[in-house]
Amino acid sequence: MLFNSIDFAIFLPLVFMAYWLIPARHIRAQNILIVLASYVFYGWWDWRFLSLIVFSTIVDYVVGRRLGQENRPGRRKFLLWVSIAVNLGFLGFFKYYNFFVENFVEAFSFFGQPIQADLLHIILPVGISFYTFQTLSYTIDVYRRKLEPTNNFIAFTAFVSFFPQLVAGPIERATHLLPQFYKKRIFKYDLAADGMRQILWGLFKKMVIADNCAGYVNMIFSNPESHSGSMLVLGAVLFAFQIYGDFSGYSDIAIGTARLFGFDLMKNFAFPYFSRDIAEFWRRWHISLSTWFRDYLYIPLGGSRGSMANQIRNVFIIFIVSGFWHGANWTFIAWGALNALYFLPLLLLNRNRSNLDTIAENSFFPTFRELMGMLLTFGVTVLAWVFFRAESIAHAWEYLGGIFTESLFTIPEIMNFKQLDVLLKLLLLFLLVEWYGRKTEFAIQKFATWPKLFRWPAYIFIIFLIGMYAQTEETPFIYFQF
Amino acid sequence: MKKFLLNSVLFSLSATIGYCLLIIVWGEIFLHNERPNLIYRRAGYGHTLSRLNDAKVVNHTKVLFLGSSHAYRGFDVRYMHRQKINAFNLGTSAQTAEVTEVLLNRYLDSIKPKLVIIEVAPTVFNLDGVEAALDVLANDTIDLNAAKLAVRVNNLRVYNTLIYAYYRGLRNRDSKVVEKKIKGRDTYRKNGYVERKVTYFKKKSYSPRKYTFRDDQLAALNRIISKLKRRDLPYILVQAPVTRGIYERYTNRQEFESMIKEMGPYYDFNKLVKLDDSLHFYDAFHLNQQGVEIFNQKLIHTLRLDTVR
Repeated sequence: MLFNSIDFAIFLPLVFMAYWLIPARHIRAQNILIVLASYVFYGWWDWRFLSLIVFSTIVDYVVGRRLGQENRPGRRKFLLWVSIAVNLGFLGFFKYYNFFVENFVEAFSFFGQPIQADLLHIILPVGISFYTFQTLSYTIDVYRRKLEPTNNFIAFTAFVSFFPQLVAGPIERATHLLPQFYKKRIFKYDLAADGMRQILWGLFKKMVIADNCAGYVNMIFSNPESHSGSMLVLGAVLFAFQIYGDFSGYSDIAIGTARLFGFDLMKNFAFPYFSRDIAEFWRRWHISLSTWFRDYLYIPLGGSRGSMANQIRNVFIIFIVSGFWHGANWTFIAWGALNALYFLPLLLLNRNRSNLDTIAENSFFPTFRELMGMLLTFGVTVLAWVFFRAESIAHAWEYLGGIFTESLFTIPEIMNFKQLDVLLKLLLLFLLVEWYGRKTEFAIQKFATWPKLFRWPAYIFIIFLIGMYAQTEETPFIYFQF
Repeated sequence: MKKFLLNSVLFSLSATIGYCLLIIVWGEIFLHNERPNLIYRRAGYGHTLSRLNDAKVVNHTKVLFLGSSHAYRGFDVRYMHRQKINAFNLGTSAQTAEVTEVLLNRYLDSIKPKLVIIEVAPTVFNLDGVEAALDVLANDTIDLNAAKLAVRVNNLRVYNTLIYAYYRGLRNRDSKVVEKKIKGRDTYRKNGYVERKVTYFKKKSYSPRKYTFRDDQLAALNRIISKLKRRDLPYILVQAPVTRGIYERYTNRQEFESMIKEMGPYYDFNKLVKLDDSLHFYDAFHLNQQGVEIFNQKLIHTLRLDTVR
């Protein structure tokens, strides 16, 4: 079920009403309702893949329980590896099997030993990369004795399958989300109203910004040779907004929906395009995944301790693995590696933690230095997005090659594209609102401080912009494919 | 919770009013390309306004034609008139069965035909109906049927246009709009027909495809047929000719034929009339005037339209 669909617009109020009709003391009944709703939500797409979630839930629940009873280090390690093998096994099979087979075949052929191997027609289950990482966090935290294993199967099932964030995150930590399923949830007006606000902004980002960018991005990326360098730059910039609007829009809807049910999900985006350097960008982009890799991969590898060579190795590993997590394609690996390269100078100069506050913290306008930093960071990020969006490495090179030509200094042929000028105006409005709200959780959270006389018309205007400028066909979220 | 629900209801009401007002403001201020989800084209493509204006005053019609552009460009009511057949053509652009249903509900009682001929183009059964709905909403009155159509099509553009068209109707903003009789190469002829200046089509070949059919369109056609049956009004389903290239590219023609045959008397004129892709068509889907006359002659003869009383 898509957040931007009529189905969800009916589903959400129904589940919301049913949930709050259950008295708050019946936590178990509320959790059962969440599980059922989540399974319906997921099964709407393809009920057969529910079995994967159920299996993963059972394995991690049992492993967690056994870890709680087991003190022998060898046995504990074995149990941890069972969970890792099951979860990453599913992920590896569904997401990476064909990629590895293809590349092995190519590698053997390259060395003069052609081999035959059949590819499988595998459907990638929606959200598998997200919920496997979420359940893994539980097992690893129990293994590390950071978290008590749960003996509440229903709460654990609800934690794994919680529908707002099941298919595209934020990837929650068990230490943060699971305890919320044990506690009594009391309806809070302010929390619910904030949730509604966040859902509204998420829908705007997805339906107006991302979906409108998508059409032009597809046109420009599918045919880079027929566009000028400046138009290719515009295509890459539009993709930057598409991916941001799409994914952060999804996260906003997910977090807002969870708030309606009395849950607090972690922040996933913090205005990443207002970052002054690439390190800040990565503290603000897909925070739940970055911190997951930081906690479960980077730090165990040694993190920023040890020799500089080790630190550099760790940075490359985490960026490349993070890139590969997105999809079975060399383009994602290149995207990750390129970001590691961007990060390297900051690491070497020990300036990777120099921008920990918010841009223009005490003023409305940024300083010249901040502005330059922000534009440079955005610029290099946009170049990296070309790899992320391209079909193949060759396609990315062709695109980048097209940018760096004489035609880079021409005026982009905007007028050849119907209604692109309207989109550019919408993007400007979007950026202004995001800038205005950059110190809050999400851009329009600050509207809550306005008097109703201004607040409500502002919301109505956003609804109107969705109605007037949204694409009329439901389009799935990009991150569903990951 | 009470406060939340109460505020949600209040906000929904305010949002509905505010949304409608903004639609009107946008419709009045901005140009078509600046408001992509508000497409209000009165007297736009296809002469729908002229046709519907004629439909409001026509009476004593024996044969009523309905359908897409194949209908209003294919059934020449002047030619029929010369054969002493009083006919009216109520075709509109990309008219889906759902739009046909709305038009029938509106005009059947005033036109009072003795026979209804519904043109069934297989490709139209896969349309979402947005284009056809927008055409009718902008050129006809807004009533409960129009609102029902909008709900059935369930598309933002249609809802927005419905609101705006209703406003324009209330304010009588379009009373002075007169549609040009000649638009480009098209000339509107009384009682619904649109004549295209004779041009010829360059033959093409196409890769094979399959028709797909939407359940909602098939359901609408069934409702239309039930309505006609209830009124004891004879009807005939007709597939108008398209170029051979287009006709033969679809590999599941048989499936369509058997499906439609179950709904009533059906004639596929691609099989019944011999036409040349280049000589008798101006594009891949539409007959030129020479083709129309050959087709209409065959239609009158095959369906015995001259005997309709």
